[in-house]
Amino acid sequence: MAEAAAVARSPITPAAPEVVVAGWAVSGRRSDAALLVTDCSPMAKVALKAPADGAAARDLDVPFGRSARQAWTVGDEATTVLVVGGGPGEWLALAPPGSQEALRTRLDSTAAGAPEELVTVVDLTHGRALVRLTGDRSADVLAKETAVDVSASACPDGAAFRTAVAGLATDVVRDDLGGVRSYLMHCERSSGQYLFDCLLDAGAEFGIEVDGFSFPDSEET
Amino acid sequence: MILLPCPWCGHRDAGEFRYVGEGTRRPDPETATRQQWRDYLYLRANVAGWTTERWYHRMGCRRYLSLRRNTLTNEVAIGDGP
Amino acid sequence: MRLDPQAGEVIDRAAALSLRWNGRAYPAHGGDTIVSALAASGERVFSRSFKYHRPRGVLTAAFTDPGCIVQVGDEPNVRAAHRLVEEGMQVRSQDTWPSLRFDVKAANELVGRFLPAGFYYKTFIAPQRLWPSYERVLRRFSHGGVVSPHPPQERLGAYDSRHAHPDVLVAGGGPAGMAAAVAAAETGASVMLVEEEHALGGHLRWGDKADLAALAELRQRVDAASVEVLTDAVVVGRYDHNEVAVVQRGLAHVHERLIKARPKTLVVAPGLLERPYVFAGNDAPGVMLSTAVRRLINLYAVKPGQRAVVLSANPQGDAAVCDLERAGVDVVHVEDARRGGDVVRAIGRSGLRAVELPGGRRFDCDLLVTAVGWTNPASLLTMAGDVPAYDPRAARYFPDVSRLSGDVLPAGGVVGDGTVDELTAHAGAVGREAARRAGFGTTAVRVPKLPVDSHPELFHGRTHGIVDFCEDVSSKDLLTAVAEGYSVPELAKRYTTATMGPTQGKLETVNVVAILAEATGRTIAQTGTTTWRPPYAPVTLGALAGRHREPVRYSPMQPWHAAHGAVPLVAGAWVRPDHYGDPAAEVGAVRERVGIIDVTPIGKLDLRGPDVPSLLNLVYVNRWSKLAVGRVRYGVMCAEDGVVFDDGVTARLGDEHYLMTTTSSGAAAVWEWVESWLQTEHPSWRVHVTPVTTSYASINVAGPRARELVARVVDDVELDPETFGYMQVRTGRVAGVAGCVLWRIGFTGELSYELHVPAGYGLHVWERLLGAGGDLGVRAVGIEAQRILRLEKGHLIVGQDTDGLTGGFSAGLDGLIRLDKLDFVGRSELLWQSQDGGHPRLVRLVLRNDTVVPDEGCQLVGRGGEVCGRVTSSRWSPTLRCGICLGQVAARLATPGTEVTVRLPDGRSEPAVVAENLAAVDPEGVRLRG
Repeated sequence: MAEAAAVARSPITPAAPEVVVAGWAVSGRRSDAALLVTDCSPMAKVALKAPADGAAARDLDVPFGRSARQAWTVGDEATTVLVVGGGPGEWLALAPPGSQEALRTRLDSTAAGAPEELVTVVDLTHGRALVRLTGDRSADVLAKETAVDVSASACPDGAAFRTAVAGLATDVVRDDLGGVRSYLMHCERSSGQYLFDCLLDAGAEFGIEVDGFSFPDSEET
Repeated sequence: MILLPCPWCGHRDAGEFRYVGEGTRRPDPETATRQQWRDYLYLRANVAGWTTERWYHRMGCRRYLSLRRNTLTNEVAIGDGP
Repeated sequence: MRLDPQAGEVIDRAAALSLRWNGRAYPAHGGDTIVSALAASGERVFSRSFKYHRPRGVLTAAFTDPGCIVQVGDEPNVRAAHRLVEEGMQVRSQDTWPSLRFDVKAANELVGRFLPAGFYYKTFIAPQRLWPSYERVLRRFSHGGVVSPHPPQERLGAYDSRHAHPDVLVAGGGPAGMAAAVAAAETGASVMLVEEEHALGGHLRWGDKADLAALAELRQRVDAASVEVLTDAVVVGRYDHNEVAVVQRGLAHVHERLIKARPKTLVVAPGLLERPYVFAGNDAPGVMLSTAVRRLINLYAVKPGQRAVVLSANPQGDAAVCDLERAGVDVVHVEDARRGGDVVRAIGRSGLRAVELPGGRRFDCDLLVTAVGWTNPASLLTMAGDVPAYDPRAARYFPDVSRLSGDVLPAGGVVGDGTVDELTAHAGAVGREAARRAGFGTTAVRVPKLPVDSHPELFHGRTHGIVDFCEDVSSKDLLTAVAEGYSVPELAKRYTTATMGPTQGKLETVNVVAILAEATGRTIAQTGTTTWRPPYAPVTLGALAGRHREPVRYSPMQPWHAAHGAVPLVAGAWVRPDHYGDPAAEVGAVRERVGIIDVTPIGKLDLRGPDVPSLLNLVYVNRWSKLAVGRVRYGVMCAEDGVVFDDGVTARLGDEHYLMTTTSSGAAAVWEWVESWLQTEHPSWRVHVTPVTTSYASINVAGPRARELVARVVDDVELDPETFGYMQVRTGRVAGVAGCVLWRIGFTGELSYELHVPAGYGLHVWERLLGAGGDLGVRAVGIEAQRILRLEKGHLIVGQDTDGLTGGFSAGLDGLIRLDKLDFVGRSELLWQSQDGGHPRLVRLVLRNDTVVPDEGCQLVGRGGEVCGRVTSSRWSPTLRCGICLGQVAARLATPGTEVTVRLPDGRSEPAVVAENLAAVDPEGVRLRG
């Protein structure tokens, strides 16, 4: 029986038109509104756990509470990976869709460099929903859904933290795009639609619109 | 809502945490009498004033924390140990 | 009547609006409140009072006005002296029947002796059987507007909330609040300034030329500073750790918004509220406070009456006289309270006609203005620890600043009097100190003390009158309360309900205390006061609810379920398919052919590290050290009290790699449980726990033809029972998807595989299974069928067949619990349970009449009629065509063959027998091992 290549689906129903990007069914919608929300769930997401002050942590070089774009070789490709220090002794690496196997291998090499430590690498590409909120009013949208201060002084570009967003445990990363304020948020996959809908609802008064997923989803800054 | 000083995440609303309870020490199960074991399970000092409590930061760092809290004023401080 | 333009008026005469009041059209200007527009057209009565249904008019002409609460469209309890007129607004009086002018319930007043203090307590105690009739009558007499059960959609979406984190939040936008906000902002602190009225300025707004000039300058300074100004917004509460709740009203897209602010410092600058005076007839329409007439004249250019008598005890009262004269009101008499002047009674019921003064003096008039003193609305300070103290020299309460939390500072009228310059100099210093405490500046700022003006103590006139205008409580009611022993303010308050109405004590508290003091022969200071609690101002439930937020979880197969008629089952946050129309047929498919069940919510924890076996041995009651790679084991967790906590299977995927599953509802709790043992009792153990519940879509393929079906979709997994036997695990590709985990386990009692596939491909694999198994008779099976299947097989569900008292041995886990293990969670209690015996047991019950399906929760009774257990699970079995029950019974009745009685909800009794085995279908387990 000839197998049609399986298409992966995000937990968030794509806004029409539906297109396939890197093996994922996503929204092909384009919007130039000043406030956008995008389902970025196809991105490769691999978690690493290691002692917060050990060799693996030094190799990753991103402290808890911060994120950094790092130039890594993933597979054979030179790739920009967003490394997020999301918890104490806990990191999440975000890379282009489809690269999770290679990304895991790359992180396994970090683990191999710390043989004395317990280092765990788990692919969470399918376990997390990833949403990007972009626009000057994005902080105002977030302020409706989280009690954590997301103002510029308390949450500068690169800040990372986990908190309740719309009552849901969510990782938030301030990751500006070309000087425009932007937040990446990820939560348990099963609640991805809920989080996405909450952001759309909260952003309605600021004219939020859905923008589809394209890759690369961001310009280098 | 009170703010709790998470040693990892900073001050956060108490709603992000689960209240675990007064810090109690687990007796050695090999030697504990029924009375000692049930004291561990059920008896709490319920102090009016400063007390040490364990909280779990379920929406944040997912760490078990030891916090000191004045139950009369809700003043809080970071305790020692998990 | 509308006056010529006034210097400080806020109405826009160019904007002509109209509104309807009780069905009649009235003109209004932009900027008019409902009351100012109606008063300009000569209306004087806006409501009927709470108990006696006496006509009520303007008292304060502000948000607090107890007589000006109306219904606007379908919105009840709108403050008519605050709400701005919108074109075409439909305004009605509340709770009047048949009309505002003629209200039948005013008869209450004639039978007023039946409505004394403590009326409800005294009257409705007995006989109890009459309560339903009491309730019906009382409900008809209850106050307030009408809530629509079907509010318009636009309003539902229009309640909102947000968080804010200003360095300094200033509550009150009068001269002190403005000065404090500007001074704080000039240090670089972020400042939020909250004002209840529609514009900043406080009492300067209705002041004289100098006041207006000072106001203009202050407004300029606020505009120049970067201050976030919220008008038509009110700080309703201050809570622990300076959480400050603000309700913002009247925004473009948002009806009301609750702002949960967490300022580093809170400046409380509410100004002062004018106090009503207590005397006979003091609630007649036409009796107003001096600030009310000044507001009507200066802000809205409304002439408040034709002939006025003024009782003045302070310069503001004198200023009101000037305003009245300028407005063309004939001030027939000014009674100076500073020289012993007083009022005996106001005459006129539906409107003031005359005033009687001491010495038999009487003046015909339609307006009586009182200026007898001020109340310090110290609510927010009280919420921050303050206990206000009464100062007889100033005839008002002052905060005890030493008791305040360090992050709260009072400013302005709440701490003293003074000129506008003195007020702004003082408040500016407070603002700088507030900013310093928020981290902007190092040296403590010296705050200049405000002078305190002396003021005569005027609370209660020579006759009895209304003290609480909202609740219709008179000074006589308070004396009754004292006579009956309720002389402490907190008790008298609850007994009479004084201070418990919509104004929340802002107008009446001080008068209540003064009257209690007088009645008990104590001073006001000795009498104490009632405690101000949140909210400072009334809050709608809509504002508190905000946008409804309750996390929901869906499986990747949810779109298929929804498209195929699944009846949703809400289980915690999960929405699951209960069944697809015919649960019995779904059971049949699994028993006879093959069914697929979406079991994605099953909790899954990825466990790595050398000490995982130690962890498993600790948290499970059974033994785990010798689980081989590729093997799966069932385990039960008990809590430290020996009570069953969760169950599931755990597989060993690699040397130091395990996958633990939990119940669907227990997933989060088990994760926290495992973390707690690792973090607090065994921090040296090297184990990493990663929750992966929704990384995988989980599909249970169950039924005699399950192997055939799975064989059609797996690429690289050997399914031969000799190599992939019962309770084993494999990894491989399913339907072209790599990274899948396959288990052979059997909750349903049939041959079954649980496929865990990367969640993004869950729908793909689900559809492929259905497509590939058409000839095998595959069908989707819901949770209800799964529950029937497991009940037929006698598998317990934690939380259904166990409860918060079910110890491990009561759940029939005798064969599983290994008391010979050195230590595990709950071991001590389980040991004692096994030694003591006598615990209830989980058994299967066979009803003599096996067509009966008793409700879950039915009681089991013994021979003597004593309750000896309950039915925990009960269903009709489509397989055996009879009812099947599990139940917990007392130890002495747990032996197979013992007779018990099932008591049905309708009182009937059904005899039943304890069965040999929990499983009714395939007790030997041949099918699932096939």
